[in-house]
Amino acid sequence: MLIEGLTKKYDDKTVVDSVTFEIPKGKVLSLIGPNGAGKSTVMGIISRLVARDAGLVSFDGKDISKWKSRELAKRLAILTQSNNIQMKLTVRELVAFGRFPYSGNRTTKEDEEIIDKAIAYMELEEFQDRFIDELSGGQRQRAYIAMVIAQDTEYILLDEPTNNLDIYHATNMMKIVRRLCDELGKTVILVLHEINYAAFYSDYICAFVDGKIAKFGTVEEVMTKENLSQIYRVDFEIQEIEGKPLSIYY
Amino acid sequence: MNYAGKKVNTKKMIILAILVLAAAIAYIFVSVNFKYFGYTMKIRIPKLAVMLITAFCIGSASIVFQSIINNTIVTPCLLGMNSLYALIHTAVVFFFGSASLLARNKNLSFVVDLVLMGIIATVIYSYLFKKTKHNVLYVLLAGTVMSTFFSSMQSSLTRIMDPNEYDSLLASLVASFSNINSDIIVLSLVMIALVILILRKELVLLDVITLGKEQAINLGVDYDRTIRRLLLGVTLFIAIATAMVGPISFLGLIIANLSRQLFKTYRHTYLIAGSALIGMAVLVGGQIAVEQIFAYSVPISVFITVGGGLYFLYLLLRNRRA
Repeated sequence: MLIEGLTKKYDDKTVVDSVTFEIPKGKVLSLIGPNGAGKSTVMGIISRLVARDAGLVSFDGKDISKWKSRELAKRLAILTQSNNIQMKLTVRELVAFGRFPYSGNRTTKEDEEIIDKAIAYMELEEFQDRFIDELSGGQRQRAYIAMVIAQDTEYILLDEPTNNLDIYHATNMMKIVRRLCDELGKTVILVLHEINYAAFYSDYICAFVDGKIAKFGTVEEVMTKENLSQIYRVDFEIQEIEGKPLSIYY
Repeated sequence: MNYAGKKVNTKKMIILAILVLAAAIAYIFVSVNFKYFGYTMKIRIPKLAVMLITAFCIGSASIVFQSIINNTIVTPCLLGMNSLYALIHTAVVFFFGSASLLARNKNLSFVVDLVLMGIIATVIYSYLFKKTKHNVLYVLLAGTVMSTFFSSMQSSLTRIMDPNEYDSLLASLVASFSNINSDIIVLSLVMIALVILILRKELVLLDVITLGKEQAINLGVDYDRTIRRLLLGVTLFIAIATAMVGPISFLGLIIANLSRQLFKTYRHTYLIAGSALIGMAVLVGGQIAVEQIFAYSVPISVFITVGGGLYFLYLLLRNRRA
């Protein structure tokens, strides 16, 4: 997946300014940066939720606007933060929606097996007949991930998946992201606010400042004292824990 | 939905269908004077048909509209279609006169209604949806303003109109089930079938659309186009119902929510069928009461408005608690 010269303006304000990078396949890539740096907008454009003003997002050699939406849904899954459902929906029914691009409203026997596997993978068996609005934030997040797994795509885009989760659930979420990549071979792209989660759990980091890419590279390349101080404009110390550069800021 | 839930819901649907059937039979045969059997049937059967069609239109349009807007206490009346209907009819009589072909031929004026309402609603609302990035509150607010705007234009026209013309106009504006427009039954059935046929692909997407815009797009739905087309369908259904019996504002809200309460599912096949059936039962049952108990002294819209108002309050309070 290749992103070239992506630009987005709201009125006169340029929020994304000719951003170009390539998404490495089969890896975890984190987009970080201060508020308003444009990382969520870039994510929105890649996932066709936000319209762009200029640039290309080529997926498998074809621009995403030229893909049939239904076909793209079999290759690319998106999970955003705005998931409020007004309907009475059980966990299993939600996960079953992941099969919609393949089978529409009627699930086949094969779909049911995939749904079972996705539910088991996220350890949601005991909740599968509970209604979504009766679950805790962490459980609900897991249900949505199960749906994305059932959707069976090569690429998974997560917009701030650790938002509104406590340390326990947020850390679990990041472990799941790692497993999605390592065990299921998925390419995961996520927007993160916690830089240490990005440092510990991803392979590549792309840092945004003012709508432009400030740094793009492996975790070790990006996570240096100088880079981070420049990006966030506060003082940083880097410490190595379990072979990963983690940051302390104050 | 699990297997047991499906079975329960199917059972509920069958009971509802039997209720509607019973109400329909009761409506036709209660206190029939067999001396005038043929005459009675000539009045009652078209009336029954109109009620069933209206209930179907309002019931399904309300569910679809609520699912598009992602809010269960709105009704398509908020789009201002009722006042647009009144404006169109007033304008026709004002500019062409009540003796003109456009005003006299019911089928022709029905087609004009549908075309105008369809075009205006699509233009205004698809534009608004785009402009406000699907901000529903703006669209509903615009609907309310538009509705006032249409009504004011209409009342200005009636003020400077020939009083005789106004008299004949009033008959088509203040319609009730005692004063139905049965000339257009066939044409409206054709229109309904046509709308369903054209929107068959979009109707299947309703379940996914209730997951919200982002999830719908994620699952491969062409969201903007689907919403636009469904909205056009909602407008046409409301236009058909309005043309037949005149505005009944609260009915859609009541029956759509009763259906959601009864079936507790996200599956629109159940919700729409349930809403339509409940609507039929309410209308036919209510009309029996109006004709047999109240001897036409109170029109059914009074019951619907009073009952709908109370039910609306209940919904608001319940939502607040939750």
